[in-house]
Amino acid sequence: MAVQETKLLTEHYDKNEFQGLQGYLKFGGYEDLKKALKMQPQAVIDEVKASGLRGRGGAGFPTGVKWGFLPKNNEDRYLLCNADEGEPGTFKDRMMMERAPHQLIEGMIISAFAVNSKKSYIYIRGEYDDSIAIVAKAIKEAYEAGFLGKNILGSGFDHDMDVYKGAGAYICGEETGMISSLEGFKGQPKLKPPFPAIQGYLKKPTIVNNVETLAAVKYIIRDGAQAYRKYGTEKSPGTKLFSVSGNVMRPGNYEVPLGTSLKDLIYEYCGGLRPGRKLKAVIPGGSSAPVLTAEEAMKVNMDYESLAQAGSMLGSGAVIVIDDSNCMVDLLDVTLHFYHHESCGQCTPCREGTGWISKITHSIKNGEGTVKDIDLIKAVSEHMMGKTICALSDAAAMPAISFVTKFRDEFEYFVKEGRSKVKEVAHA
Amino acid sequence: MPKCTINGKEVEVPQGASIIEAFKAMGEDICHYCWHPGLSVAGVCRLCMVQIEGIPKLQIACNTEVKDGMVITNQSEQVKDTVKWGLDFHLINHPLDCPICDQAGECGLQDQYMQYGKYDPEMAEKKVKKHKVVDLGPTIVLDSERCILCSRCVRFTEEVSQTNELGIFNRGDRSEIGTVDGKPLDNNYSLNTVDICPVGALTSKDFRFRQRVWYLKDSDSICPGCSTGCNVKVYFNEEGLWRVKPRYNAEVNGHWMCDVGRDTYKYVNKRARLLKVRAGQAEYWEDKEVFSAVMEAGRDLRESAEKNPNSVAVVMTGQYTNEEFKEFFDFAAGELKLTRFYHWMNDPAHAEDFDGLLYRGDKNPNTNGLKAEAKTHGGFKSFEDLQANLGGLETILVLGPENQSQFDDIKEKVEMFGKAKKVIWLTACGSEEINALRAPSVQIPMKTYIEKAGSFTNYKGLVQEFKRGTTIVEDALTLSEVVTLFRGHELDYKNRPQPLGGTKKNHFTEIRGQL
Repeated sequence: MAVQETKLLTEHYDKNEFQGLQGYLKFGGYEDLKKALKMQPQAVIDEVKASGLRGRGGAGFPTGVKWGFLPKNNEDRYLLCNADEGEPGTFKDRMMMERAPHQLIEGMIISAFAVNSKKSYIYIRGEYDDSIAIVAKAIKEAYEAGFLGKNILGSGFDHDMDVYKGAGAYICGEETGMISSLEGFKGQPKLKPPFPAIQGYLKKPTIVNNVETLAAVKYIIRDGAQAYRKYGTEKSPGTKLFSVSGNVMRPGNYEVPLGTSLKDLIYEYCGGLRPGRKLKAVIPGGSSAPVLTAEEAMKVNMDYESLAQAGSMLGSGAVIVIDDSNCMVDLLDVTLHFYHHESCGQCTPCREGTGWISKITHSIKNGEGTVKDIDLIKAVSEHMMGKTICALSDAAAMPAISFVTKFRDEFEYFVKEGRSKVKEVAHA
Repeated sequence: MPKCTINGKEVEVPQGASIIEAFKAMGEDICHYCWHPGLSVAGVCRLCMVQIEGIPKLQIACNTEVKDGMVITNQSEQVKDTVKWGLDFHLINHPLDCPICDQAGECGLQDQYMQYGKYDPEMAEKKVKKHKVVDLGPTIVLDSERCILCSRCVRFTEEVSQTNELGIFNRGDRSEIGTVDGKPLDNNYSLNTVDICPVGALTSKDFRFRQRVWYLKDSDSICPGCSTGCNVKVYFNEEGLWRVKPRYNAEVNGHWMCDVGRDTYKYVNKRARLLKVRAGQAEYWEDKEVFSAVMEAGRDLRESAEKNPNSVAVVMTGQYTNEEFKEFFDFAAGELKLTRFYHWMNDPAHAEDFDGLLYRGDKNPNTNGLKAEAKTHGGFKSFEDLQANLGGLETILVLGPENQSQFDDIKEKVEMFGKAKKVIWLTACGSEEINALRAPSVQIPMKTYIEKAGSFTNYKGLVQEFKRGTTIVEDALTLSEVVTLFRGHELDYKNRPQPLGGTKKNHFTEIRGQL
């Protein structure tokens, strides 16, 4: 293999012992916590700000800036780790929790110290049984070793941490939906304002960060902001784990610097497509990201700006590679089925819209569609965008609009011929 | 106080006011379902969209605070287009069963679609099927397919009645309103959820399928159910009163009223009423012509009073208006020099009871008005005094309660009063209990609160005026009219308010039978 991954977070993921406390300590575990506890909390925040670290959950909001929104007082506050990895195509958080739970815990304690939070929760999606067990065990080990609890390592800083098991709802990955769920209510996003940093979990100031974001904090403290900035681009610094799935030879999680070209990711890191297959499309940031045509995909780099410029987004870093054996009507149908199923039902445009476009697409797939339906999918989706409390409505609308716009020929073929343009795909 | 510009007009609003409140205060049109001034903000219908200069995305007016210098509009093409589609999203799974829907005519969907709608429905897929005719409790039926999930009813049971019966179950377009653990929606404020339901999802068991709302007339009134004096709107036609709904008054009842108060319509209608003057005593009663019979009773009363004012006792309930009480005392205490006045209350031991929201133990709308008027005429004597002097009484005049169902001791009282030589009982309702009077008696039919104008003084001394709505029983009199006749004067017969023209045949009534 010509290329090597840039293993910053995943350096020791190949070692089984890294999962337990002893193994973790062997490779420099909790050294950075000791370092951070000797710093001023504000200095930690400043370091994270200087590193330019951006939220790895999907929105890409600068982490240090987010922390800065917390009120400057001694009010109780919470740090929540969003491990409800629900974006279809994403499986990096799971690997991180299962291979290196202590890395996450250490990153969280450092972050909690920085924002002066005495309590944190790791909200893990319900289907991740192994992750839940492994992280819970690691928390226990950390308590026993004095990394959690009262007066951590003699610093005077107290911190408690717990695992909370989700029930498998996509919407609980949205930060305020997650907070509702954690509070014991139905997992539904909350109106903003107030924002969680002002009024979140139990109406207290709350910071919600993704697993990968919190783990990265450890390395920013270890190497310093400038060293972290050596990876990636000016506006998208650092490394990122990409979960590559679909029609590639070697699917999996790859840690590469932000700004790596999508072409390299597919053809160099993942071994390219299956023999004889042609690239048709790539969804670069989880199923809610607008799809890229093969041509577009070959031009973009995997960073926030380049993908935004191409009309898509980096999202959670789930790269779904689609070759010419797939029918785009089929793919949109399953995608919209998912969003229809997962809409929480609060806001009318999303509740009704996700069902509507899903049904239209399904009708087309059943050979009952008309050309007008294709335009209707687009019109309905456009009116779902930016009209709701959270982004789930947009998450359904974006793939819908991009699929019917960029692959209109396949949709038209389907409504005219009553079957897929892709010969291999047979529908009952 | 921040200043802002709304649709080109400059306006100053109170600190912390939301944009929708500013729109409402100005009387500007704005489309919305989930927002209700008496409830918390849900922000889910996504219809109150406004464009604010300097903010690229449209914002919902209900959750956006007015800031100084904001330039706000909901007249832009972008807003109009969003509202059009927003309404379409509400309608795609809504059954278009308006012809058989009870809400038709006062439906938020109908009204707002007329004004803001898209008018070219494009939904050709199968609609979502949900539960229909769901029995939520003793008062309410739910049609989930009509529900637009605005969550007003859920918020009402959480925030106002604080009984928490309702919740939204399931998710996405399968979401449905339901009761928690199947526990019925059963509280004294349950019917407010029907009022605030913008569509025909929640309907009152009492009112559904009884009338088309556009055939009903309405009038402002005051609920006579208890001493709170909730401001209400009464809805009636030539057949009678059909329903009572709350009318906003921040000082008294806010946006709400209790279910007991809504039931007051029941005793107002003919079936419960005393229709004619009746003279006689237990087991034998005879209908009389109203004016001559009342004048005759008045003559008797005057004669007894002239002989000995102490031989006449007056038992009064706080169920008449201030104006009637004044007229009555002028006559009884001023002219007849009567001294024996007795105050009859429902359950005096619990008169101070209060449920914390609206409902009070004193089931009389005008106890305070009665007490104040009585005070200037020597006040009330105790019932022990009445009991002790029963044998020597010539006449007992009873200003009976309009709503007898709240007076548990009516049997006892009828027995007591029957020991006098004669009884004159003023009553709105005919009842078996009164018919058991053992003394020779006259029952005079009285008007109910929707048939007269006047004022009540509520528990905290607030004097609230109300208008006449309609006349249901032709022979019924107000207390003032009774006093006029007692004085031996004629009534201005020609100018008396008449019932609504009742000659029109009502097909519904024929099928259903009289109320």
